Amino acid sequence: MEQIIQVTILGIGLGGVFALMGSGLSLVFGVMRIVNLAHPSLIIAGAFTAYWGFRLWGIDPLVMLSVATLLLAAIGVLLYKIFFERNAKSATYSEMTVLLTFAIAMIVEGALGAMFSNTQRVTSPSYATDAFFLGDIFIPKGQLYAGMVSMLIIGLLAAFLKYSRLGYAIRATTQNRDAAALLGVNVNMVGLMSFAIGIGLAGAAGALTSFVFSFFPAKHWEWIAVLMSLVVMGGMGSIMGTVVASFALSIVAAFVGAYVGSTWSTMTFFLALFLVLLFRPQGLFGEKPELL
Amino acid sequence: MKSQMIDSTPGDVLSARAAYNERLARLADKTRAVWFPLAILVILLVLPLVQFVGNYNYMLHLVLLTASYVAMAAGWNILGGFAGYVSLGHNVFFAIGGYFAGMILARFGISAIIMAPVAGLVAAVFGYAIGLITLRVRGPAFIISSIAMVMIARLLFDNWHFVGGANGVTLPAPNLSSQWAKLPYYYAMVAIAAVTVWSSYRIKHSKFGLGLRAISKDEIKAESAGIDTRFYKVTAFAISAFFIGMTGAVWGEYLTYIRPSIFLVILIAANMVLMCILGGKGTVAGPVIGAVLLVAFNEFFVAMMGASELNILGTGVIMAVMLMFFPLGIVGTLALKGKLPRILNWD
Repeated sequence: MEQIIQVTILGIGLGGVFALMGSGLSLVFGVMRIVNLAHPSLIIAGAFTAYWGFRLWGIDPLVMLSVATLLLAAIGVLLYKIFFERNAKSATYSEMTVLLTFAIAMIVEGALGAMFSNTQRVTSPSYATDAFFLGDIFIPKGQLYAGMVSMLIIGLLAAFLKYSRLGYAIRATTQNRDAAALLGVNVNMVGLMSFAIGIGLAGAAGALTSFVFSFFPAKHWEWIAVLMSLVVMGGMGSIMGTVVASFALSIVAAFVGAYVGSTWSTMTFFLALFLVLLFRPQGLFGEKPELL
Repeated sequence: MKSQMIDSTPGDVLSARAAYNERLARLADKTRAVWFPLAILVILLVLPLVQFVGNYNYMLHLVLLTASYVAMAAGWNILGGFAGYVSLGHNVFFAIGGYFAGMILARFGISAIIMAPVAGLVAAVFGYAIGLITLRVRGPAFIISSIAMVMIARLLFDNWHFVGGANGVTLPAPNLSSQWAKLPYYYAMVAIAAVTVWSSYRIKHSKFGLGLRAISKDEIKAESAGIDTRFYKVTAFAISAFFIGMTGAVWGEYLTYIRPSIFLVILIAANMVLMCILGGKGTVAGPVIGAVLLVAFNEFFVAMMGASELNILGTGVIMAVMLMFFPLGIVGTLALKGKLPRILNWD
């Protein structure tokens, strides 16, 4: 019984981080219809920002989170201006943008690898290896803080989407781009803003990731399939769906890791992605088959 | 004139149409340079003679590498170019071919060059089975599922003790002096590349290829025109897996070891896509030109900067530039402008 609770807690801790990683991806897909394969590589860029902040100046990763968010949001604006604005009317838009983001992922990976080399790194603030104990059950502090901060950010994002004017526009564009444009929404501006927010969220997730997982520039390929499984399962574009899917899958993965073998825990995500794509491509919470 | 048309029987119409088609085909023949790829092939077949006058192993290695890239890109092109299903996971079949032939070589001592067609068939069977599942979705969903396919394969091969897990298996090297050691693989790879390019030409000019091109334009319309789209797509998947599996078989023995980290890395899948985009997706000459250019680029990057990270960066930059400015590739863009030189028109 205690082991079951323990494994569940570890799963929830990971789920919190994955939820933030996936929500930016989901937002970008919802508004722009871009399957952003570069998202995980930008998360790694965020992780490096937090890492160097801690290494060089001893700034806590939770503080560097704001820097990483702003920096990555600026990079997001740049990427949007360079790559996506001019292609919005292309006939093979969805397929082409997938390949473009794939190319961007390679560019980011190559640049990070050339600058910082491909060694494993992890940011190590004091709480990263510490834990709370409740009887025999332990709660790792790093994952707890990361999960709490991530829930806070997702809460802020949800409130922003629900109550702000730009949030209304983003939701309208997600539902129907043409109708939103007809009603006077500047869809290009909304696309730019949501892309910046989505990539900014990648930066925030990267700062949290930097002390939860070890990372290196080429690691993002593993995360692509993991994050895609969360986003596809939650229904692409639905942020709440992504959050639910990340908690559900992380808990399952934690159990697989504990009872089948730790090498197989990531297999949970890949198989879930396969099964969802095949039997319910619109995802668990999606309304219509967007991807077909 | 009018009465003639009414009187004409279906047979007349058919023969008139056949004559018309033949005229079109003769016109296409005039602009097509079949002799050029044949000439290249002949040059490549006699090229190893230079080994008599000196040691040109590195040049032979480069040609061999280019030939393997040509075979892989042309194989990928059958599904990704003709049928329009972009797959970022075709290195799975590269690995299946390499591992099958490599394990046969390690256990029974049968050379992978002989086993290559069998390895290709094994890859094709896997391709058919995987295609039945993943080709139910299209567009971005298919691309994502193909990435998941690589991840699953990597995890399985990394943990499969029979094939050596992450460390892989070392294969016996051939008993040839270093001057001639490359030759069997050289000829095998050139032959596989030639067969692949020829097959992709034949497929493009068959009813099957026409069906695939219809699918890439509009799958629903193709289906309503009576094309069994599911069968066509899955068969195209299996055929492309066949050629890539054959390449993997010879490549594994050439390197003398098989290991997940040489077959199942995303850069190989990315290279296949990049070569086709560079040269022109859905053309016969495109993958060949793309492969030659990619090897040249890689040599340039390694010689200039000597870092694999910069190589990845360069690959990404080239891919992004091509996608943004020349989505049809070199052959496609030139053909659209009517400036395609005759020697590059193999379609």
